[in-house]
Amino acid sequence: MTFDIVNMSRRNMLKSASVAALLASSAGALVAPRRASAQDAKTVRVLSVEDPFFFSMKAMIPEFEKETGIKVELESLSYDALQTRLVSAFVAKTSDADVIAVDQMWLGQYLDNGWIISLNDYIAKDSDINLADFIPEVLYSSNMWRGQIATLPVAAYAQGVMYRKDIFDSFGIAAPPTKASEDWTWTKYIETLKSLEGKFFGGKPLFPTVICGSQPSPITHMFTQLSASHGANWFKSFPGAPWDFSPQITGPAWAKSVDVYRQLYKLSPPEAINYVWFDAGTRFAKGDIGMFYWWTPYFYLVKNSGYMTGKKSDVMDKYATAALPKAKGVAQTISLGGWSLGVPSSSDRQDNGYAFIKWATSKATQKKMAQWPDLNFQFSDFARKSLYEDADVKAIYPYLDVQYDMMKQGNGKITRPPVPGYTAVESVLGLTLNQLLTGSEDPKTALERTNSLFESILKGNLMIPYQKESYADTLDGAKALIGKLGKA
Amino acid sequence: MHAITLRSPQALAPVRRGFLRQNLPYFLIAPSVIMLLALIAYPLLFALKSSFYFWNLQVGPQPLAFVGFDNYVQALNAFDFRAALTNTLILSILGAAIEFSLGLAIALVLLKSLPGMNVVRALLILPTTIAPIVVGFLFRYLYDPGGGLVTWVLRSLSLPLPAEGILGSPSTALAAILFVDIWQWTPFFAIVLYASLLAVPDEIIEAARLDRASAWTILMRIKLPLIRRTAIIIVMLRFMQIFNTFDTVLVLTRGGPGTSTRTLGYSLYEQGLVNFNVGLVSAQTWIAVLIVNIIVALYVFFAFRNEEW
Repeated sequence: MTFDIVNMSRRNMLKSASVAALLASSAGALVAPRRASAQDAKTVRVLSVEDPFFFSMKAMIPEFEKETGIKVELESLSYDALQTRLVSAFVAKTSDADVIAVDQMWLGQYLDNGWIISLNDYIAKDSDINLADFIPEVLYSSNMWRGQIATLPVAAYAQGVMYRKDIFDSFGIAAPPTKASEDWTWTKYIETLKSLEGKFFGGKPLFPTVICGSQPSPITHMFTQLSASHGANWFKSFPGAPWDFSPQITGPAWAKSVDVYRQLYKLSPPEAINYVWFDAGTRFAKGDIGMFYWWTPYFYLVKNSGYMTGKKSDVMDKYATAALPKAKGVAQTISLGGWSLGVPSSSDRQDNGYAFIKWATSKATQKKMAQWPDLNFQFSDFARKSLYEDADVKAIYPYLDVQYDMMKQGNGKITRPPVPGYTAVESVLGLTLNQLLTGSEDPKTALERTNSLFESILKGNLMIPYQKESYADTLDGAKALIGKLGKA
Repeated sequence: MHAITLRSPQALAPVRRGFLRQNLPYFLIAPSVIMLLALIAYPLLFALKSSFYFWNLQVGPQPLAFVGFDNYVQALNAFDFRAALTNTLILSILGAAIEFSLGLAIALVLLKSLPGMNVVRALLILPTTIAPIVVGFLFRYLYDPGGGLVTWVLRSLSLPLPAEGILGSPSTALAAILFVDIWQWTPFFAIVLYASLLAVPDEIIEAARLDRASAWTILMRIKLPLIRRTAIIIVMLRFMQIFNTFDTVLVLTRGGPGTSTRTLGYSLYEQGLVNFNVGLVSAQTWIAVLIVNIIVALYVFFAFRNEEW
């Protein structure tokens, strides 16, 4: 089957913008992009999501302005609104930003469509960026696509375990290990949780754990850590070449992961069915959860009583972190994600954009962000190896060894493949998982139906058979690229 | 040979003035019509065209192929879209009916000269002034299973509540969203119907009372027929508004659990602004436009068939 590509004229671009506006008026959610006004060259406009890194980065910006003389116009948006705004702006060619925050799964789409530029040339000419200091697994997972480094990580996330030391001590439960081992399995994790079932602590009933149940993205983010741990793949062949996006979610690893996730839900507060990322994360901070696993930013976020409130939580001095369990006989894969910064191809101040990215992702700035005391020290999402060994930073964030171990076992390209069309299949998977938590349907049947829907969507999106050129996207290839650009 | 008659500019002037006078209404209305076409008709027609193409911004910025009715077939075959359609119709029909009934009851109470009615009237309008997304966040706390006010009240009344919370159970989540809409928009009905009831002449009511007509008879035979046109129009308006429910669903449940609270508005948001499937969302938009227009057309036909306008 062949398709005629319609050449996109300016008129058609305007038409597509009209469609976007129409859709937005139906849904009422589009934040219209602001047109770039005549700004002087000594300005950089940054569009970011409001994750924890945003707050400490914002606090450091006066230093950047002082160092470079470039004025920063920083704007923040929610997760959904950011991608809506970016894609609408890129398609209409009205992007007004010089630096944008890019989530790990959007990378393939943004680079394949030419919406952001490759940073290879900038990095190759930059003698003091110290590319070798970045954790290769992070750059591979979040920043590289088809041999290009398109973004640099400003906040790198892995997934790990948080548990209540005082509760474990009180009930004589052995603390989970801080290093991954063959003995620390998901089966053992569930057993540990079950030993907390029906218990009271401090006069209040305990929930052994908490999960994220809201569809589509939050539940997918938590579940795919489980599925990756069990060796599940989304597609027949990706990221290794040749790319074949035939869905593979009917395998035993998926069914097993669903089974474990349902068990975890039964040990969680029932209302977790509607929990988004920070509902699950900050629930632990309320003090009635024994142990849970989640993105590493919650290693520090739980010090606050709510999301970035600055008010100390009840568990602030009572929790510890541990390694993520693995499935027996399966090599561990940790979900890596997080936020990176890229330069839109439509920006006419790309040099300023790169200067900002280099500054924001540098060791010096990241360390200052970590040492920013407001809100009870809320930043330890380092992508640079040296910061995990920095004594000043380790004094504030004592769990960095655990976190670094997780990072080194990470592979974001397997857990949530950053391929064009990702969000469409994620919508279906998220809905299925959400249904499976409360419904009585057999996981195998639900996954078979979902696999069929995946196939239909991917065929409709021209991903099956894959019509573009494949790329052998391996960690070794990423390390080679890092070495090559770092020495250039 | 043709005879050519030349007229002086002065001779043409009366003709021009006549033309202007004759067509002045059209000239005056033209800007509005042009604006209407540009802002409503053009985007709708463009969406209609897009609905016949494969066009997904995640895959490429351009429409890639003409696919006929494939997008419509895909939309109607999707179980989540069908669920959204069902939920939307339930919400719209029940919401408009309940809000009208409660609004009418409140309006009738407001007519009584009871002490404190001025304050009540002022307070009544408050919910409608709050943005739906804010109302969504407000009710997220009110429904909280761990101590939200609504949960607490229902528990105090010994009503059985699902362990997952009101928003966490497929059996109660849609009703919870309906309740939010009723809370916010019943006052709108109350205020509009109250204003209409004020216009009902006192003499007619007095005459009916002298004839010993009951309050029910006065309501059904006199008051309601006299405010009928207003009632029909506001019910229609609210039906169309509820049909587009989106904000509260996004904040409260994201369409879950499962598909139990998915609405057409939420489906359009997800396909258009999360998945960026322009072709599919255009087809969904047109399905929604057709359904709402058919329902409204039937409603208007039956409601106004005996009316003279």
